[in-house]
Amino acid sequence: MLKGVASLVSRVRKLDPGHLRLGTQAPQSLAAQLDNQVSFESPRAISCTNENDPAKHEEKHEGLHYNLPLQDVKTVFPHGLPPRYAMQMKTFNEACLMVRKPALELLHYLKNTNFAHPAIRYVLYGEKGTGKTLSLCHIIHFCAKQDWLILHIPDAHLWVKNCRDLLQSTYNKQRFDQPLEASVWLKNFKTTNERFLSQIKIQEKYVWNKRESIEKGSSLGEVVEQGITRVRNATDAVGIVLKELKRQSSLGIFRLLVAVDGVNALWGRTTLKREDKSPIAPEELALIHNLRKMVRNDWNGGAIVLTLSQTGSLFKPRNACLPQELLGKEGFDALDPFIPIQVANYSPKEFESCIQYYMENSWLQHEKAHTEEGKKELLFLSNGNPGQLERLCAYL
Amino acid sequence: MAAPLVKALLRCSDLTLGVRSAALRFPGLTQVRWSRYSAEFRDPLIDKEYYRKPLAELTEEEKFDRELKKTQPIKAAPSAHTSSVFEDPVISKFINMMMKGGNKVLARSLMTQTLEAVKRKQFEKFHAAASEEQANIERNPYTIFHQALKNCEPVIGLAPILKGGRFYQVPVPLSDRRRRFLAMKWMITECREKKHRRMLMPEKLSKELLEAFHNQGPVVKRKHDLHKMAEANRALAHYRWW
Repeated sequence: MLKGVASLVSRVRKLDPGHLRLGTQAPQSLAAQLDNQVSFESPRAISCTNENDPAKHEEKHEGLHYNLPLQDVKTVFPHGLPPRYAMQMKTFNEACLMVRKPALELLHYLKNTNFAHPAIRYVLYGEKGTGKTLSLCHIIHFCAKQDWLILHIPDAHLWVKNCRDLLQSTYNKQRFDQPLEASVWLKNFKTTNERFLSQIKIQEKYVWNKRESIEKGSSLGEVVEQGITRVRNATDAVGIVLKELKRQSSLGIFRLLVAVDGVNALWGRTTLKREDKSPIAPEELALIHNLRKMVRNDWNGGAIVLTLSQTGSLFKPRNACLPQELLGKEGFDALDPFIPIQVANYSPKEFESCIQYYMENSWLQHEKAHTEEGKKELLFLSNGNPGQLERLCAYL
Repeated sequence: MAAPLVKALLRCSDLTLGVRSAALRFPGLTQVRWSRYSAEFRDPLIDKEYYRKPLAELTEEEKFDRELKKTQPIKAAPSAHTSSVFEDPVISKFINMMMKGGNKVLARSLMTQTLEAVKRKQFEKFHAAASEEQANIERNPYTIFHQALKNCEPVIGLAPILKGGRFYQVPVPLSDRRRRFLAMKWMITECREKKHRRMLMPEKLSKELLEAFHNQGPVVKRKHDLHKMAEANRALAHYRWW
């Protein structure tokens, strides 16, 4: 057994000396291609890495999975993970995320941000199922570990469609409130950023109605509580939270990460209608109006990471994936200038790593899936698309 | 008016290859199930390994077979019959039986969702069990599917035989094909009819497959009922003449 590993290591050294990692793990997916023996010897070595801190992820970790502790997942992602990934997490009893190039690039930019300059907008775009949302989750985990304040909107499309109760806003008669969505978001915001809520103090007095108001100098936690308990004022509470965070992020007490998934919902169309059946434009929704202000780069002390998504979008064709197509003229002009980061399908190395990860968790139960023919067929059927591969492997 | 037209059509169809000839193959017997292919058509063989064999490795019979194939006509392969390594004839047959109105896409997606549901349930059980029992829990949805259908196959069936003006249910041996068909038919009928209105097919089917795998559940009960009826009507067995 040891002879096999030694000969394998020496073979790999001849091929590619730069890729050998320190520690007990065997070399990366080259091993998977050369030999199946290694998977019996050190089962989790080929597709997983021990480096669980996103801040230390480098190019050498590309294609490998790292483990997110489940406790962290509950606090950092109360609402952010895609549903199929959440099912996989439940089945495997662990949360493993693959380290990929777009996320590494973004991590590099975030590590070198200058907090005195206005916040830079990064837009993750790509075909359906390539991993934009999970890359965003990787970034959020990094920022949470670095103690940033995370403002995460899991899917902006949910705010522009299927809203049962629309109230006319008390603050501005032209706009509409969405009490349910706002209160749910406030609950999740509280779970993620518990420790900041008592530290940040609001700098203005806000009046909820004739009897209730909130004084200057009280903590943000009280605003959030008010929004959760009084569902009618939840949208206004969200507006206050966003305004205060934007104002105070430049002071340097905390660093703010604004992460919005499906940002093209802010500038598209909605399927919501007034009582007289006339359609509502997105800017007439208070939540969307406030979020648009948040995504502008007129504040400093943090970063804005956005994801485009065609999947939940309204009135956009299936093959639209580029920023210009999904955002439209209005959205593109509002977000301009931004840094676009493309998320692509798996490279052969990443594909191999993914298959190895599934085999290590015994997810691929079909006998033929372990053979070379089976792997070639999976590559062909999924075309390296991570979402498609996951769906294929689910029933094999 | 129609008859001379038909005769003319049949006469010119005799010249074209492959269309069923007007003359019956066995005089005195009418064919009930007919196909557009005539007798000389061969079934298609979809097997990557067979075609990849280099010429040198072929035996004499295989070489002869290959030469013969060049001249004989071959039926068209059905589009659901692929050379994929993951293909399973039992699963394909089950999908065809579940299909309604030709909606193969829906039937196939239901089947894949069922297999996924079975797998996830078994994984849950696996993680909840102690390490000694983990070896006993089967997580491969395909083995569970095959074993469940095998457990639902009846050994003996009943046929209605007319004797003296009355129909008697006579115990009768079943062919392999009939047994597999009955198992699949019972499974699908059970899942379609005996479920809550809001429950989806994959959920119900996965539940029934897991129960049948452990030899429990309504489908296996139906098989046992059939066996009991056959046992009860044992005395009528001599009514059978084949």
